[in-house]
Amino acid sequence: MFEARSPLARVGLQLLVTVMVIPFLFPLVVMVQGSLAGAGWGNYAAVLAVPGLGQFFLNSVIIAASVIVLVYVVTMLAAYGFAKLRVPVRELWFWLLLACLTLPEVVLLAPLFATDTALGLYDTYWSVVLPLAALQVPFAVLLTRNFIEGIPTELFEAARVDGASSMRGFLYLVIPLTRPIAAAVLIFTLIGAWNDYLMPLVFLQSTDMQTITLVPQFFQGEFSNDQTKILASAVLTALPEVIAYLCLQRLFERGLSAGALK
Amino acid sequence: MTETSLRRPGRRPPSSRGEAATLRARRRRLQPRGLPWIIPALVLSGGLIYYCIGYTGYISTLDWDGISPDPTSVGANNFVRILQDPVFWQAVQHTVLFFIVTFVLQTFLGFLFAVLLHSRIKVAVVYKVIVFVPVVLAPAIMAPVFRQLFAPDGELNWVLQHVGLGALAQPWIGQTSTALPVIMVITIWQWTGLTFVLYFAAMGQVDESVLEAARIDGAGNIRTIANIIWPDVRGTTVALAILSAIGALKTFDIPWLVTIAGPNEATEFLGTYIYKMTIQLDHVGYAAALSVILLIVALVMAIGFQLAGREREVRD
Repeated sequence: MFEARSPLARVGLQLLVTVMVIPFLFPLVVMVQGSLAGAGWGNYAAVLAVPGLGQFFLNSVIIAASVIVLVYVVTMLAAYGFAKLRVPVRELWFWLLLACLTLPEVVLLAPLFATDTALGLYDTYWSVVLPLAALQVPFAVLLTRNFIEGIPTELFEAARVDGASSMRGFLYLVIPLTRPIAAAVLIFTLIGAWNDYLMPLVFLQSTDMQTITLVPQFFQGEFSNDQTKILASAVLTALPEVIAYLCLQRLFERGLSAGALK
Repeated sequence: MTETSLRRPGRRPPSSRGEAATLRARRRRLQPRGLPWIIPALVLSGGLIYYCIGYTGYISTLDWDGISPDPTSVGANNFVRILQDPVFWQAVQHTVLFFIVTFVLQTFLGFLFAVLLHSRIKVAVVYKVIVFVPVVLAPAIMAPVFRQLFAPDGELNWVLQHVGLGALAQPWIGQTSTALPVIMVITIWQWTGLTFVLYFAAMGQVDESVLEAARIDGAGNIRTIANIIWPDVRGTTVALAILSAIGALKTFDIPWLVTIAGPNEATEFLGTYIYKMTIQLDHVGYAAALSVILLIVALVMAIGFQLAGREREVRD
């Protein structure tokens, strides 16, 4: 957009961007450098030697995967219903869902806590999976409905004329045709579930149920504030996210920005 | 959205009235019932969330510690107390200030990055990755890093001392005057990448020929950006404003983990205050009343943005 005609101006622009990204790089450098201070790679060895680190990962994977599956299934069904099927007072239902978009999760704490203890769900995966999925569904439905509305209705009619039930239309038309938007839903649900801190903090009490966002806290207890080991654990927990992003760069950027772009 | 829903599927105008009637009847018969399809989403999301909201509304009229079997009803007393609670008003002030500062700076930085990386910069992808990586990192995992970075003997003060600005070195997290700015800086660090990616994508859709025409007419870089690109991406700016405002109301992880909402409530937000009241101090009724207020603010704001956005569209 900037037009730099002279080589000097071009170097100037390059220099400007470089200076501008330094503050963004700085915390990451501090993180890696801090994790190697003192015992060097020994910090990592110490962190990895703590039993249970794998369990944190496993729990995060289980929770994120469950949330994704739940959100995906429920969203696809609803988006198809909203976009292509006959629903009485459709817009009312839709706005009821959309109103949930603005909901801060902290509002759910007290009622969920009381309900979870009453139903015996406290300290189970469900106590985190259900609210996280519930919070992700409205946005996912909004995106997917808009996407399905872009698919020509004639396609569905042709399928029906040929004798396909709406279930077959769903399985053979909606599922394959919505792949691009499904990828976006997958990514932002993954990030939302994987990075969530409040729900696991409140609803998962036993250490063998907890997720990776609680790892720094766990290590603060484990190493009584040995900062280098805490940072090593932070690097280890951040690594899968960074690798996933680098491998699926396009998908991440599109997924997170899908809502704001036409 | 309303427009799409009101329109019947199929756009071909029917040739005669009789044909139109049969067509409509056939269409209706062909469009199967959709209610069963949307019920799972309504139950999971709507059910859980509205159940919780209703429950919160009920709790907000109680004086309850969260455990005792028979809480006393206090009517609207909790709400009256909240309006007289200085910490609540502090939290509101922080939220508003936080929203304005983070939104303006993120927009400025994100927009600038997007313009620059659209300008034939070498190894642009490297810059892109550096700016975007914070978006995917969990705030909870980055919190210890920032606690160290802003500590009295942390890296920021070290850098300041080594570039001759040692006089500026201070305990960033530990004093009321700088704690809130620290929280803002961390948030900007985290979310500028998203702002950037959105603007970057939106700028890709700006009409090249308009830019060329402007250049031929002698418009410089600054004029092109201010008069063509900036107005062209206004939709993105509005979307980002909504995201930032909702984000400000939801703020919890960073102030809780980096400054523990302190010192002296200097970084208290509605989220941290509700958490403290619910989990640590067992004033569950009071926290529920706070939640109700937070909900109303969020909803009013969302409707406000929606209406403002619509008005703009009409005027254009």
